[in-house]
Amino acid sequence: MSAVMTLTKEIATEKENEKDALFRTSPVLEIKNLSISLYEDKGGEEHRLVKKLNLSIRPGEMLGLAGESGSGKSLTASAILGLLPKSLSVSEGQILIRGQDLLNLSEKEMGHLRGKEIAYIFQNYQDSFTPFIKIGRQLVEALRSHDKISKPEAKKQALLWLERVKLPAEQIFSSYPHQLSGGQLQRASLAAALMFEPVLIIADEPTTALDVLTGEKVLDLLAGLQKELNCAVLLVSHDLKHVLKRTDSMAVMYGGQIVEKGATKSLRENPRHPYTKLLLKARPILRYTALEKFAAIPGEPGLIAKEGCTFALRCPLSFEQCYMVPAMQPAGRFQWTACQAVDREKVDTNA
Amino acid sequence: MVLVVLFLSIFTFGLMKMAPGDPVLAILNSDEMIVTDADQAKLRSSLGFDQPIYVQYGQWMIGVMQLDLGTSYMSGKPVWNEIAERLPITLQLTAGALLVMVGISVPLGVLSARYPGKWPDQIGRIFALIGASIPSFWLGLMLIYIFAFKFQIFPSGGMGSVSQMILPSITLGFTLAAVYARLLRAGLIETLSKDYIRAGRARGVKEWRLLWLHAFRAALIPVMTVFGLSLGSLLGGAVVVEILFSWPGLGSMAVDAILSRDYPVIQGYVLLTGVLVVVLNLLVDLSYYLIDPRINQGKRESG
Repeated sequence: MSAVMTLTKEIATEKENEKDALFRTSPVLEIKNLSISLYEDKGGEEHRLVKKLNLSIRPGEMLGLAGESGSGKSLTASAILGLLPKSLSVSEGQILIRGQDLLNLSEKEMGHLRGKEIAYIFQNYQDSFTPFIKIGRQLVEALRSHDKISKPEAKKQALLWLERVKLPAEQIFSSYPHQLSGGQLQRASLAAALMFEPVLIIADEPTTALDVLTGEKVLDLLAGLQKELNCAVLLVSHDLKHVLKRTDSMAVMYGGQIVEKGATKSLRENPRHPYTKLLLKARPILRYTALEKFAAIPGEPGLIAKEGCTFALRCPLSFEQCYMVPAMQPAGRFQWTACQAVDREKVDTNA
Repeated sequence: MVLVVLFLSIFTFGLMKMAPGDPVLAILNSDEMIVTDADQAKLRSSLGFDQPIYVQYGQWMIGVMQLDLGTSYMSGKPVWNEIAERLPITLQLTAGALLVMVGISVPLGVLSARYPGKWPDQIGRIFALIGASIPSFWLGLMLIYIFAFKFQIFPSGGMGSVSQMILPSITLGFTLAAVYARLLRAGLIETLSKDYIRAGRARGVKEWRLLWLHAFRAALIPVMTVFGLSLGSLLGGAVVVEILFSWPGLGSMAVDAILSRDYPVIQGYVLLTGVLVVVLNLLVDLSYYLIDPRINQGKRESG
């Protein structure tokens, strides 16, 4: 019965979404008009940290969510999981997983979804396991809190997954987290995330705390297993290099708004939004001669306009229209940009 | 650890010798009987009091090494036997107090940590303030007044039955419970905000499992530390409570011994308590390793 319901819902959402359907399949995750707010006191001033965000990911797709620190990437990721800090809450919008709105679910239903349908890989691999309980026991615990399986069975499954992430399974199974290296731990948490073959994996800066080579290996592994499982991955990162290299599509955030999104290839080759342009320019590229100075984005990071376009205060192209929130406008076939200046350009060229 | 015990033995022995009052006069009951100087001298030499202090200490220490704490001046029985007779009674009281302590502090601490700022937390806060500021002798008296005298639910003293256990246990356990509840709350709130708890939630592990198996264990470390340190006050508190509820335990034995200048008994009591506290603190230190295996890591890997 419920399967039929989800199916009809899925069809409905696909119809709604027809015009910006990137692929033929219906999205796994769809975020509509999501705003996340901080309430200082009861009835106090509302402080919007994420503003009217729209995003969707389809099965097998890896979507990169890029942006500088404080742009709301991780908050969005936490909101999907329903694990926002207590002082924050979703003030409007919908988060749909296979057409089911997560915000309407009870804490208990959400608990069933977490881990099983949506997996989360943390930035801080040191803390992805409780430090004084053996890895194996924690994997078994997670397995048994979703499925009614016996302990030996759960152990078998946990060992299998540790092997799949290319770890010496038996040894890791009976180790404490502090006995493993960073790369091993991140792999083990990858195993913990993939065990249930979730439909969506949120990887919140999975490589930030690792060295470059280990990070690459972990991402290779993630990409490989993603192909096998055909799940969707939301890769949250401030490292443009990973996002450009790994993802199928990407979204660039600034100050809690998505300023530009679309196919990664299209965005890389033809960025429209001034922030994306500057971001791509600021990225170091391996050359024969050392650059005198990296291109930097003007203004103070974290300087966010309260009204209208959040980037307006730092934007070289800002003009009076920027006090209004720009709408997402298609720019090219697989790209959408929210910028008044780009709109004006288009109007100018049309005229 | 051996040093601590050695220092303790010297200290108690010295203090006994410096204390005013003369056991010889007390033994001969000089207040009520006529005591001749010859009698006094005879007793003095038989007790070894005519020897220099270091010889006396040496003799006592040799005895202690052989697990002989000497004989009581008053009852004439070996001190060991006295202690062995009374130790179970004090242990019974302490166990009761610990039960009360855990019974109050764990639920209260967990509830306050689960709902910080809400009513269980407020109750916990008020409770902790009351618990920390009430002296146990007063609490004991109030409990006797209310439950034994006014309502006549529990007996006011004596020991043996469960109903006689209740009031003394509460008296001794209550003040500690309040402190531990707060300590547990602070530890739990801290660990519940840790990333690994979030990671557990993200894996879909149930909240009660995270609370009891993951967070509780981490929160236990500061609690255990303070517990080791407060063992002394637990035993000290036992003295007051035993007197109050007329329990023939170690505490009341010590008080009787002090009043009658029964030096071997006092020394035996202090030494035993000292050793007990030292050993229990060692056990507490060892328990850290059981709680958190990282703590032993430095030792093993440096070798």
